[in-house]
Amino acid sequence: MNKLKKFGKKNIGFIFIIPWLIGFLVFKLYPFMSSLYYSFTDYNLFAGMTEGFTLQNYKDVFTVPVELTALKTTFKYAFMTVPMKLVFALFIAYILNFKLKGVNLFRTIYYVPSILGGSVAIAVLWKALFNDNGLIRSGFALIGIDAPHFMSDPKWALLMISILRVWQFGSAMVVFLAALKGVSQDLYEAAAIDGASKTRQFFSITLPLITPVVFYNLVTQLVQAFQEFNGPYIITRGGPLGSTTLMSLLVYNNAFTGYDMGKASAQAWVLFVILMIFTMISFWSQKHWVYYADDEN
Amino acid sequence: MKKRFLSAFLATAMLATTLTGCGESEDKTTEATTEKATTEAATDAGSDAGSDDGAADYEECTIKFDWWGGDSRHEATQAAVDAFEAKYPGITVEINFGAWSDWETAKANEYLSGNNPDVQQTNFDWIGKYDADGTTYLDLNTVSDVLDLSQYDQAVLDKCVDVNGGLAGIPVSVTGRTFYWNEATFEKAGLSTPTNLDELMAAGPVFKEKLGDNYYPLVIGEYDRAILVAFYLQAKTGQPIINEKNEVTVTEADFKEGLEFIKSLEDAHVIPTVPYIDGEGADSMDKSQRFINGEYAGIFEWDSSPAKYVSALGDNGDDLVVGNVFPELQSYSKVSLMFSISADTEHPRECAMLLNYLLNDPEGAAIMANERGIPESASAYATLEAAGTINPLSAQAHTEVINSDPLYWNPLFDSKVLKGDTSVYTTVFEQYSYGMDASGSAYDVDKAAADLYKGYQDAVAQ
Repeated sequence: MNKLKKFGKKNIGFIFIIPWLIGFLVFKLYPFMSSLYYSFTDYNLFAGMTEGFTLQNYKDVFTVPVELTALKTTFKYAFMTVPMKLVFALFIAYILNFKLKGVNLFRTIYYVPSILGGSVAIAVLWKALFNDNGLIRSGFALIGIDAPHFMSDPKWALLMISILRVWQFGSAMVVFLAALKGVSQDLYEAAAIDGASKTRQFFSITLPLITPVVFYNLVTQLVQAFQEFNGPYIITRGGPLGSTTLMSLLVYNNAFTGYDMGKASAQAWVLFVILMIFTMISFWSQKHWVYYADDEN
Repeated sequence: MKKRFLSAFLATAMLATTLTGCGESEDKTTEATTEKATTEAATDAGSDAGSDDGAADYEECTIKFDWWGGDSRHEATQAAVDAFEAKYPGITVEINFGAWSDWETAKANEYLSGNNPDVQQTNFDWIGKYDADGTTYLDLNTVSDVLDLSQYDQAVLDKCVDVNGGLAGIPVSVTGRTFYWNEATFEKAGLSTPTNLDELMAAGPVFKEKLGDNYYPLVIGEYDRAILVAFYLQAKTGQPIINEKNEVTVTEADFKEGLEFIKSLEDAHVIPTVPYIDGEGADSMDKSQRFINGEYAGIFEWDSSPAKYVSALGDNGDDLVVGNVFPELQSYSKVSLMFSISADTEHPRECAMLLNYLLNDPEGAAIMANERGIPESASAYATLEAAGTINPLSAQAHTEVINSDPLYWNPLFDSKVLKGDTSVYTTVFEQYSYGMDASGSAYDVDKAAADLYKGYQDAVAQ
């Protein structure tokens, strides 16, 4: 009894994390490692495996046109939406940081799209806005402009999906807003006395001081953009002509409509590795552009 | 001491919230599952015995039953299950239902994990997909003392067998495709609804001239185009496009001809292009504002499906009339839906009783009505006919299909290689209509024919 008590006392921390640990091992690590294993096979949920170890799934990602196109589209999507979203979120946060009348109401309103997310209702709204008879095209028509066919033109469909993502800038905006509030007013006052314009103040004081938050938003938004699924799945189903088929949608299609788990796993791992590389680059690069106040150097 | 107490409290709270979380999610998953209390219904039992089929001898048990469909199908089936439980007190039916979207994915996972319910609505091609070794579905011949198979055409039953010769499913209805026309739009164009290909081709330019660029006599999506090409080529060869030996009976050159036929429809303003259809962003044609407005004046649909189009047209529902299958086309018919019993069920007899009630018993059949098409069961058909509840549009469409002398349909036609969002039918017909592939390169009829032919060969090779 004494021994048990002693053991319990010694390992109390470990005992407390057991529920989480079990969840992690069973629901995270095991599927994670299984998918790595399956990615080197031709495993199909119903047909099983017909051959052993193969690199074919990985080769396919970079050689089969559909998969290569999805990979390129994913890059295009991420590189288009992440900067747009960060700039827009920062811009709105900057405005909402001023002492304006009813600013709290505006902050709430601007955050609403992020709560709505990529829901079915928003997909319906997006279709209603961007279809051939929708508000956007009708609006352009009123001023005599024949706007693109967003739903059916492969050149424009991705932009339509991207705008949906940028529109959901609320979460990034809130983080920026918190950071902006943390910048000391003394610095602005000193700069103003020295004759610095608002623009100069922004680029020489505000931006450098909030770079840790810019870095945080950059990494999280990059990860989310590469994993984007809801928008293309609900609005365009990856069309037209596969122009909005992102890697995550391709993974879903292969895994859950084709049951081709080997292929889907390989695609998911390629996506994971890409994300890891970008994250590593981001972390490596931060020493060149991110300013931490507590960093002596 | 205080710290230890606090630690214990936090650990308990954490476990409790974890378990609460499980409880909540379980609640959510069972939200759509309604357990019917048979004891309450037992008092109503016996008021109308109907045909007992010697089924008085049964065990008290709980059986699980699921299906997909729309609201009206859900309501009818729930009502029929309620009536079954009232008639057979002691048998509880746990039901689960939903829309088709992603339904098959969920079911596929159930088959893999062996969790498929005792009784379920199944698709004809699921026999090949999920019962490849004949061990997923119960051979319904083994319960034919309860399930009255004599109500069915033996030729239709013969289609529903698995590799071991067992009856894997009981066909609810047989279906085929025909045309439906919006008579009002044709009248506006000064035309009568077409009865052959020449009349249809002639209608295109008239629509354009008299009604405008946005009016088309017919609208067909990618899968519809695949079926129309099959009909067109079957008329040419006189054989099913994939025969009973799983052979493709047409050549790449034939496919080229079929594709050119589709192109000629687009060029003559008979059908809109795929980009034009995509531009509207409608999830399905019955949700299309252009169809609802009468701009799309014709559809090529299953004989069991007119109700949703009539409903979409609202007050103008009567404008939709059934057309014939054109003499230049050779149709096929197929089992539209089946009900199957799991081979692993512990209550095969009770499951068979449920099916017999839903499909053959006049009481059950009357409640189920036309929700799954014109019933294949002779007794159900007679019941609905006597009650005058057979949907006249469906019945007429069904007659048109039968009159067209339909050919055999091979389930490989709907193979996942061919049918699906990213499969051959969608990509070939989409790219062919756009005139380019996903990379932006030109996509002509030769490429389309080659891809379509390869797709068919891949499908039959599986």
